[in-house]
Amino acid sequence: MDYYLNLINTIGIHTLLGLSAYLLLLTGQVSLAQAGFFGIGAYTAAIVTVIFEWSILSAIGAAMLVSGGVAFLVGFPALRVRGLMLVVATLAFSEFARMFFYNLKWRVVRDGAEIGPDGTMGFAEIRYFNNNGWLNWEVTIFLWVFVAVVMALIWWSDQTRIGAVLRAVGEDELAANSTGINVTVVKVAAMTAGGIVAGLAGSLYAHQVTDLDHHTFTVLLATFAIAYPILGGLSNVFGTLIAVLFIQGLLVEGLRFLGDWRMLLFGALIIVAMNIKPLGLFDNQTIRILRKALGVKRQRDSV
Amino acid sequence: MEDFWYEVVEVSQSIADGLLFGSTYALIGIGFTLIFGAMGKLNMAYAAAALGGAYAGLAGFVLIKAPLVLVFGISAIATAALGYAIYFTCFRFIPVNNHLASLMASVGALFFIDEVVVHVTRGSPLTFPSMFGDVYFELGPYGIRGDLVFVFIIGLISTGVLLYILFRTRLGLATRAVAQQDIAARLCGIGVHSTNSVTFAIAGVLGGIAGAMTAAAVGVLSPVMTVPLTVKGIIVAVIGGLGSIPGAIIAGLFVGGFENVILYFRGIDERDMYVVALLFVFLVFRPNGLFGTAITRD
Repeated sequence: MDYYLNLINTIGIHTLLGLSAYLLLLTGQVSLAQAGFFGIGAYTAAIVTVIFEWSILSAIGAAMLVSGGVAFLVGFPALRVRGLMLVVATLAFSEFARMFFYNLKWRVVRDGAEIGPDGTMGFAEIRYFNNNGWLNWEVTIFLWVFVAVVMALIWWSDQTRIGAVLRAVGEDELAANSTGINVTVVKVAAMTAGGIVAGLAGSLYAHQVTDLDHHTFTVLLATFAIAYPILGGLSNVFGTLIAVLFIQGLLVEGLRFLGDWRMLLFGALIIVAMNIKPLGLFDNQTIRILRKALGVKRQRDSV
Repeated sequence: MEDFWYEVVEVSQSIADGLLFGSTYALIGIGFTLIFGAMGKLNMAYAAAALGGAYAGLAGFVLIKAPLVLVFGISAIATAALGYAIYFTCFRFIPVNNHLASLMASVGALFFIDEVVVHVTRGSPLTFPSMFGDVYFELGPYGIRGDLVFVFIIGLISTGVLLYILFRTRLGLATRAVAQQDIAARLCGIGVHSTNSVTFAIAGVLGGIAGAMTAAAVGVLSPVMTVPLTVKGIIVAVIGGLGSIPGAIIAGLFVGGFENVILYFRGIDERDMYVVALLFVFLVFRPNGLFGTAITRD
């Protein structure tokens, strides 16, 4: 049972990670910085509960604040670079964050034992859930409430002008600018929002896994984060969720058949997917086919 | 006063060593920049292919006791083959203006190559033979490692050959034409796909040599070298200006020297942070890099 709860938690956290990249992808910014924000959120939340001994909600709030703040700062220089250069810059940022935490050492003595981030040894003993008597399924529900809220918020924004503005900037900045949209504000806001969501994901991750190691926050995680919305397509949030289920399920099931070779499968899968469906698994073409197959009609469909 | 001059000697020694080692970064940077110049896309699997080639060269050394020259040759050919495979699987069939899909596909290729290497070597680092490892020149208070000089000279020769191919042969002419304006090149009868695959192969040759050079200079080959080499190669290509070969060369040497000086002052843990910070400085103040785009794209 615990194994499945762990899997469900991982799916939830990765969904949040994917959604944070999704927000940025909507505005046309391909960001590999989500792993960096994730790490910042994780370490911040862990420091708050372990060293300051505050509650979990304040830890999550602090994590969201700090990650969002850093994302806001990253958003401005990010405006100066476009396309592939942004990928490089955000990749560099994630690596920088990882190396920063690799060097972070803040040991405090509590009840006779040393706790806190210990540089290269990582950050162990994040025992908030254990110490406060949370059961495993309670943690899962707690986590998924956040996931559901974030998904609902993004889905709702897509039905309103916010979503239209984001997508307009993503489609064609010049045209969006001409219609009076302040592209700078939109892009920085998207980066900040992405940072907040990634920070949230990180804070939940830190407490669920109780032990942080800088090896988690690498290019691999950043790639996962951006792979989910790319594979899931940008039409709606459920695409990202399905992509997470697909990839995580594949890695887990693939583990059973291929053991250690699952990364091989993952790599090959990405290559195949990108060649067959360069616009994402749930691009407009696929959705149209699905709609026809399921017989779902929309008012603006002519047939 | 004595101490100050001692510091000066130590720092300039670091710079010199770093410059020599930087020739490996220069070659990797040239590889990234060549591919970007030709297609406008980033090949994230490039450094992985370079190390893969170095592993192939090491296999040649271990299995058939190949002399070092042959090891470098095997590395070059192996990476060229890998480069062609990466082109075929990640770039050939994806629409030209879809940069993201190729990027993701090449990341997939990076994972793939890394996993193969990890499984074949069971994850443990392997020693790589170095030429002139015991040679050591003394120039007054400075000591210069022979193997670094060897690596630097190989880098010079490779770059020289590359420039010759690019600027004095029809193949190079075709490559530059496709890089400049692929539609016009097509109208002139130049096959874009075949030219691009040759570009990838040439970049692969450079990458294989660079991978073998890095392994020879460090003495060890390990799959954990892939990501730092990728990040540094990209940083070098960006600082030099994507698409510019002289830029990549100068940036590579500069990053090598810079990194070594930081190593001297701040130690290995913080060294890479400063290299990344250097990238940010460039991106904020000079996003086009030192030399902008020498091979321009429309």
